[in-house]
Amino acid sequence: MNIDPVKALDGKVERLKKELKSLETRIDHAQTDAAHHQLSQANQLKDNTRKLTKTNDRVTELAESVHRLERLLVALNRKVRASETQKADFDDWPEIDEAQLAKIHKGQEAYARRVFTPQEAKDTRKAIAEYDRRALEAIDAAEALTHLPPSAETLWRKNYQQWRSITDQERPDAPDDDTHAKDTVAKTAGNEAIGHVRQLIRARIEDAVARDLLFPAWFENMLGPAAPPGKADDWLYTATDVVLYRLLHGITSPADALGPAPQDEGHRKTLHNRLTGECADYRRP
Amino acid sequence: MAADPFARLADRQQSLRTALRALKAAGPGSPDFRSLLATTNAEVEAVVQARRDVEAARLTSPNRMIAIATTAAALIVAVGWFDAWSLLSLLVAVATAASVLVDPAGRRVFEPRARTTAICAALLATLLTPLASGWATLITAAGIAWWAWRTLK
Repeated sequence: MNIDPVKALDGKVERLKKELKSLETRIDHAQTDAAHHQLSQANQLKDNTRKLTKTNDRVTELAESVHRLERLLVALNRKVRASETQKADFDDWPEIDEAQLAKIHKGQEAYARRVFTPQEAKDTRKAIAEYDRRALEAIDAAEALTHLPPSAETLWRKNYQQWRSITDQERPDAPDDDTHAKDTVAKTAGNEAIGHVRQLIRARIEDAVARDLLFPAWFENMLGPAAPPGKADDWLYTATDVVLYRLLHGITSPADALGPAPQDEGHRKTLHNRLTGECADYRRP
Repeated sequence: MAADPFARLADRQQSLRTALRALKAAGPGSPDFRSLLATTNAEVEAVVQARRDVEAARLTSPNRMIAIATTAAALIVAVGWFDAWSLLSLLVAVATAASVLVDPAGRRVFEPRARTTAICAALLATLLTPLASGWATLITAAGIAWWAWRTLK
């Protein structure tokens, strides 16, 4: 038994110190464990991300390969059908004659023609009257030249200049009052012709679809192998327009349905753009 | 075709009269007005050219005489009233005289009389050189400017 209180206190302090040390050690251990745990989790996350990326790449590759296969299949399908299926003919149209196409062209021209506004017609008439007045003046001046003595130089100059003022000018064309009526007739005839021709073309396309005929290469290139589900009517409408476009503008390329894009602004360019856009929609998977 | 310029001018004026009659009868609205106008224009050009020939025939020798007179006067003034400053006026006048001597009538429609004006101005300048010395050049320059303006306009 220790009777010295100082010694007893010392012993206690010593024990407490030991306990403190053991506690510190335990806390240190706990911290290290937590750090380890976190690190391993982070590593796992990184691993997973890497795996995901790899999987993504693989999926892309696979999609490409599927796409390639799909195209191969379409081509193969065509080849197989070509050997045993009857071909649809969308290039020869004996039932559509030149006169009808000419009517359609005339109607389109009539639609494209700019109509004289009343103000413009008035201005043109005024310009014509002005021109006529000056022409008569110039004729008078030229008449003066026929009896002037050669020495009257000032008068010669004046009259000669007056004459010259008319020779380098054009008489504007008179606004035609008939244009409007003629255009209306041309538009009506063109619309009728378009309706008729469209009916013929559509009937032949529908027949080809019904009999499962092989479409021409340009047709399939442009409109896909068949109508997209649920859009048969729109598809037929566009297909009719494509065939009509080829007919109207004399395009005979076996591969390119619409031919080169037209340079000039106008109805043809609008139609070309419209058909290109619509057909791209139909080809989309 | 008549060889005499006067007769040729009368001739041309006659055919212009005919062309004008056709043009007037057609009127500006008719479809062949354009071609008739072109024909008449050719006739007008021919008449104006014929008048130039008349003028050229009339003015060739006077122009030449005045040019010779200018050259002679310039020589006399240069010797008699010698002055370096006056020499400018004399040289320009002699140059004008030389060009008029080479081609008294010119080629353009209103050129013969313009050349007469220019050479008259040159003679006047030469005669005034003893009084105005170099400033007389201005008269010649004005004559040349008039010539160019009448010719090119």
